Amino acid sequence: MKRGLKWDTILRSKLFWAVVAEFLILLVGFIIRPDFLNIQIRTLEDGTRVLFGTPIDILNRSSEITIIAMGMTLVIALGGTDISVGALVAVSGAIALKFLRWDVLEYTTPGDYSVMPFVYVLVVPLVVCTLMGLFNGTLVARLKIQPIIATLILMVAGRGIAQIVTDGKQFTTQYAPFKFIGNGSILGIPLPIIITFVVVAAMVVFVRKTSYGMFVEAVGINPNASRVSGIRSAVIIMIAYVLTGLLSGISGLIYSSRIISNDSNNAGLGYEMDAILAVVLGGTSMTGGKFTLVGTVVGSIIIRTITTLVFYFGIVSEAIMAFKALIIAGVIVLQSEPVRRAIARRREKRHINLGGELHA
Amino acid sequence: MPEIRSKPFRRLFKPNYLMVYATLGIFLLLYLFGAIMYGKIGFTSIRTFLLLFSDNAYIGISAVGMTMVLITGGIDLSVGAVASLTGMIIAYGTTVMGLHPLLCFAFALLVGVGLGLLMGACVQYLNVPPFITTLTGMFLARGVTSLISRESISIKHPMIDALAGIKFYLKWPNAAGEWVKIKPVASIDLNTIVFLLMIIIGAIILQKTRFGRNVYAIGGSVQSATLMGLPVARTKVLVYGFNGLCSVLAGIAYVLYVKSGWNLALSGAELDVISSCVIGGVMLSGGVGYMWGTLLGVLLKATIPAIITFNGTMNSWWAKIFTGVLLLLFIIIQRAVVASSSRTARKAETAS
Repeated sequence: MKRGLKWDTILRSKLFWAVVAEFLILLVGFIIRPDFLNIQIRTLEDGTRVLFGTPIDILNRSSEITIIAMGMTLVIALGGTDISVGALVAVSGAIALKFLRWDVLEYTTPGDYSVMPFVYVLVVPLVVCTLMGLFNGTLVARLKIQPIIATLILMVAGRGIAQIVTDGKQFTTQYAPFKFIGNGSILGIPLPIIITFVVVAAMVVFVRKTSYGMFVEAVGINPNASRVSGIRSAVIIMIAYVLTGLLSGISGLIYSSRIISNDSNNAGLGYEMDAILAVVLGGTSMTGGKFTLVGTVVGSIIIRTITTLVFYFGIVSEAIMAFKALIIAGVIVLQSEPVRRAIARRREKRHINLGGELHA
Repeated sequence: MPEIRSKPFRRLFKPNYLMVYATLGIFLLLYLFGAIMYGKIGFTSIRTFLLLFSDNAYIGISAVGMTMVLITGGIDLSVGAVASLTGMIIAYGTTVMGLHPLLCFAFALLVGVGLGLLMGACVQYLNVPPFITTLTGMFLARGVTSLISRESISIKHPMIDALAGIKFYLKWPNAAGEWVKIKPVASIDLNTIVFLLMIIIGAIILQKTRFGRNVYAIGGSVQSATLMGLPVARTKVLVYGFNGLCSVLAGIAYVLYVKSGWNLALSGAELDVISSCVIGGVMLSGGVGYMWGTLLGVLLKATIPAIITFNGTMNSWWAKIFTGVLLLLFIIIQRAVVASSSRTARKAETAS
């Protein structure tokens, strides 16, 4: 009896279905290309040994979205959305490259591109993105503006700001420490994966070991009740948007380091959509309330796996969207309330039937 | 009878209208600014004014459907992708397959309205949030467009050329009493006519039909609308279908404007459309919005790049930043209006 109940809760949880979906997609990849799941150690030209293989690549490439989606999970759990994250990625990259190329004329030795202290390259983009998150948060929490519209402002203006920072130019850099962020590896593990792991771990600890996560769920489920019971919902909401801004900044640094350049038009393009999808696929409801950070990580990995798989099919990159849409539509329909209720009801019925037979 | 006469006067000051007035006021201010700064180089000419319409007709046509979706409290992110798909269907159909454009129009309409209805059904019956549903629709439409062709296909068909070439020149009588084209030459093209026609049709649907009342009622409160026995499900699904129709018309207008189909065309257009509606006083929380507000919103948003073009020294990215500032301004105005009207409502409550 008890075991049956447990299975019921597992079957009803969206996270379980997300993991199942991920394994199914990996299985499809494995059937098509048996080397899909291979991981090997390769030695690079400079002697460092790195892990190599599609699963590692999926994890590595999903890191930008995973990091943003950590903040997005909180924002969505509070019943909001942040569609400015893609623009913030562009802003972060633009500022970083601006500092790397502070004064082109002062280059002395090749390779030494950073005239400003390297700390600036890392800290200033993050500070600016955090402030932009604060702007979003103020509009949503203090002025009570609809989140989509409040963040639409920076989504539209953000890319303009990024272009103004770099004067519309695209810089490239070969500065090794900066290149290391997106392309380096420690103990064979690509650095973006490590950064993602640290971010996810920090977020999980912050959310589950302090009362913040509980407050987020309380505000997301019923803002009025939680305000009446003494939760300062404005501060809770503000923190979520500020965190999302900061995480978008980190993601922007990884992205611009990967392409060792800034690209105000294309950096982070569509990230808001991918991040929201990652959150929803992971099992956090768009209507707010309960959330799962681990689920979001799974969701982000699902999105990247689909993309990788479609690349394996050799299909043009733009057409990936169609496949993404079909798979996501499938997952969304499976996760939608009426369908899940129907499945649960059928299971219950079968349960009762079985029970009856056993008694008889 | 003073009471009756004062009624329409009071109606003019309905708080919901205030946002439309704000749009009108800021549009006039911006236009005045442009006229003072760049009046000498032709900013005030009728030609420039008409270009505001014809250059943004596809945004405006799409905004008609979007206004309706937003009033029901939904959102549709797929409009740009569906319009792009329409363009690709027309381009591929006429140029590569050699079909008649009308056939392509019909097929595109079928696809666009079908996708719209499907998304509406998904929102209504599966309870999937509109944002996610239409996001999936956007991915799907964009992906299918790329599957058809990744290259930009230019359209060469006499009928498309003829449609794009329809122009009604504005004329006035000269000293000899003959009708001649005004200088600088100004004309109204087919896109502008369709745009204005769609605004009028949209306004009639919203204000004069039972369907329009239902749209407002759903936006006000879905529960109340359901309890009142209004056909919530049918209305919602039809609104998304109508928006699909508008997206296809916008796609056709875009094809007539650029005469080509491209899989990445109109990316991000959905945001232009939504922000035009918001600037025009449509509230994303639903229940509030007017077609003429949307018309003004499109015009106001179109004036910014026009001024920047006339300025000549500013970079195009300033347009993005100014649009962002405008959005912020209108959102704060909306917020203030809502706050003041809820305050008066509360006052009325305590008074009674």
